[in-house]
Amino acid sequence: MSNFDTIDFFTDPSLVVDPMPYFEYLRSKGPITPLPLRNTMGVTGYEEAVAIINDPKTFSSANAATGPIPDYPFTPEGDDISEMLDAHRHEMLATGMVVAKDGLEHANHRALLMRLFTPTRLKESQEYLSTLAGELIDDMIDKGHCDLISEFATPYATMVIANLLGVPEDDRKLFCEKLGPPPGVVGEDVSYEEVTAQGFMFLFEYFAGYIAERQASPCGDVLSDLATSKFPDGTTPEVMDLVWLAAFLFGAGQDTTARLLGASLKIFAEHPELQEQVRADRSLIPAFIEEVVRFEGPVKCASRLAVKTTTVAGVEIKAGTTLAMFYGAANRDPRKFENPNEFRLDRPRSREHIGFGRGAHTCAGMALARAEITACLEQILDRVGNIQLSESKHGKASDRHFSYEPIYTLRALKSLHLEFTKIK
Amino acid sequence: MPKITVITRSGDSQVVDAELNRSLMEVVRDDGIDELMALCGGCCSCATCHIYVDPADADRLPPISEDENILLDSSEHRKPEQSRLSCQIRVTEAHEGLRVTIAPED
Repeated sequence: MSNFDTIDFFTDPSLVVDPMPYFEYLRSKGPITPLPLRNTMGVTGYEEAVAIINDPKTFSSANAATGPIPDYPFTPEGDDISEMLDAHRHEMLATGMVVAKDGLEHANHRALLMRLFTPTRLKESQEYLSTLAGELIDDMIDKGHCDLISEFATPYATMVIANLLGVPEDDRKLFCEKLGPPPGVVGEDVSYEEVTAQGFMFLFEYFAGYIAERQASPCGDVLSDLATSKFPDGTTPEVMDLVWLAAFLFGAGQDTTARLLGASLKIFAEHPELQEQVRADRSLIPAFIEEVVRFEGPVKCASRLAVKTTTVAGVEIKAGTTLAMFYGAANRDPRKFENPNEFRLDRPRSREHIGFGRGAHTCAGMALARAEITACLEQILDRVGNIQLSESKHGKASDRHFSYEPIYTLRALKSLHLEFTKIK
Repeated sequence: MPKITVITRSGDSQVVDAELNRSLMEVVRDDGIDELMALCGGCCSCATCHIYVDPADADRLPPISEDENILLDSSEHRKPEQSRLSCQIRVTEAHEGLRVTIAPED
């Protein structure tokens, strides 16, 4: 048994399968509490987390996707490290991604992205979202069992982003194969670059090509829109800015959505009565999805970097401190959500969870994620009956076991082996 | 930077310096007025950045898109000629002296 007092959240594999007991331990110490290593504080309080992510001038997102690993390329000193951060930001990993930008530069890049996710755009994708889900079900329905993650959720989420961006059909399979794991592998002090280099270099290469093609001859698709877009002030983005955005959409929109779908089906399989309730009344799907995101959302730990010494909820946070934002813990803060460890379809104000974040960095793809999960659940509930967990893979009801990806940033089921009957 | 007056739900008014080209939602939110939840983050997909603008100022604002119109209809507090989603308004010089009121929470 590990000692929660000294355990390193970022490297200890024992926290991967179920981080909740550790989060509850941290909560018992306070909503914002120092972790033993890496000059980091863990945030488990809902109000406190919202206050931090709503104050981007004090809390930078430069480390949002990577957290405190690897070490920052500078040693924080004093009560304001803004200049230090500005001087070294480009040496930090993946700070070209919109998720790691701050201030006006962030707002400008985000504005380009927002155009991809308007309700009108999503309506245009609706048919594709349903058709694709149907095709993936066709591939597995007759055998009566599947690993939802590798056979359905991951290819689905990858193909959706590829489609949204206008990746040619011939290249899509390649994209599914090439993309590496997301950042934050537990227990490996390897650089983010090493982990993702292959996947990202691949994306850069392809997207630089696509964007150049669309700039030369726009053809009315999303990528043409992106390739010819301008920042809100009328200036034109660099090609690399656009490539980063496109690559980011894969990084952020693929694994998260796939694992959210995994979490949704896990809950259906564990609660047959809930599965039948939603099957019988599809108007419950939106509330179901919000509660899955609250209860078991895919983002386990996003990070922020305090650039100024400040106080939040009476706790002093020194400039240079990493804030490990444990969204899953904040979403189970009993001060905000009554009986937080209960899965409730009728939870009041459940959409106020911060599973998609809040403030300037609110998940840009949340409407797409909701549309994807809705389309999948509709198709699955129409066609696949009596969805159950495989006892041979996950154990009997009294002794279930699941594997999660050893990643500190995401709560990511490694596999979800389901058995089911064919309805049609 | 244009100065815009924001009237909160409690009736307090606060003048904010609005950075050009940013959305009005971002300007209000980032100025520490925490009444705009802006749950969707500004992609015109929820109605939690709902504000009222004096009808006399309507011609200073961009037209309402179909998406925005549908979302405003989903609010119980829509007021004809006054309701807007602040994420859909980009600040320009024409907004000097604009007064906006944060709509009640749905």
